[in-house]
Amino acid sequence: MKLFHESEGITRRQFFKGAGMLTVAAVISGVFAKFGFDVFAASDDYITQRVAGLYTLDESMAIRKSHENPEIIQIYKDFLSPGKVECVSPKAHHLLHTKYGKDIPGFIAELKNPHHVPEVESAANEETSTEEPAA
Amino acid sequence: MSNENGKVLKHGTQTRTMHWIHLLAFIILGLTGVGFYWDIGGIASIFGGEANASLVHRWTGVVFVVGPLLYTLLNFDRFSRFMDTISHFSKDDFAWLKVMGGYLPFIKADDVPPQDKYNAGQKILGWLIIIGCLLIILTGFPMWLWRHSVPAVFLSFCYDVHFWTAMVLILLVAGHFFLAAIHPKSRVEFSSMMLDGYIDAEITAHHNAKWFAELKESS
Repeated sequence: MKLFHESEGITRRQFFKGAGMLTVAAVISGVFAKFGFDVFAASDDYITQRVAGLYTLDESMAIRKSHENPEIIQIYKDFLSPGKVECVSPKAHHLLHTKYGKDIPGFIAELKNPHHVPEVESAANEETSTEEPAA
Repeated sequence: MSNENGKVLKHGTQTRTMHWIHLLAFIILGLTGVGFYWDIGGIASIFGGEANASLVHRWTGVVFVVGPLLYTLLNFDRFSRFMDTISHFSKDDFAWLKVMGGYLPFIKADDVPPQDKYNAGQKILGWLIIIGCLLIILTGFPMWLWRHSVPAVFLSFCYDVHFWTAMVLILLVAGHFFLAAIHPKSRVEFSSMMLDGYIDAEITAHHNAKWFAELKESS
């Protein structure tokens, strides 16, 4: 049986077309990659400067930790946990923690009628009063 | 049909290997990509969940790039001949396109013009696949490697181009599969690319008359 094969090698025209296509693909990919790397470098530089800025700002602050802030300590002593600093006191928990889902309608009602004490807080206060009798 | 006897080696081993690798990579990329876009949990499950499917998609993308690139660099002569063939459109090619090679039932084609190693339709498909692959590769890697650096608008543009190019390529490959493996006029091509590389000389003399004339002259 006779077998037909393509001849080996390429003509000058074929070489230029093959090399041309590879060059075009390489140039397009190179330009695209250059853009990407430049943007990446710019982004990296921005992040470095932003981090440096935040650290510099932080270092220049007189008070750098919230739990050492005299005003916060005073709020706890006067209002959130009277007479002491108890960061997870029931009142602090009730007032400072975010409400989600089913708690939201009750919270809205409480905001509309601030003098009404919700059941949760009453229960929490009762619990606190049994655990820690007033001095 | 002519009365030529013998066989023609249409696709060499390296070409067939590259075609297989690219095909398998394309199927995996297409499947995982479609799964991501339409959030089809069943597809992600095949690849071990969303996170694994994402990893598979990205690293198969690397195979999708490296496979043809290695082939091109190691078989520059074959690649150059391929580029020469698909970039050469003669009057015969335009005449072939007018009758769509006789493949469409509603276009009457008594005499289909002689074609090169690839007919005019395959030449156009070749260009569309090259351009489509470049687009999908150039938009895919920024989505993976630079997603936290490039502007959101550019990233969104990459996602759009990546998706629509993929859709076009999937349709093109489906059409390519139909013509190469199912259509009665051309399904003889299937084994030449997927199995041993050979095709009957008689068929080549009919479908690729210009190329066969060159083969006869050189042998």
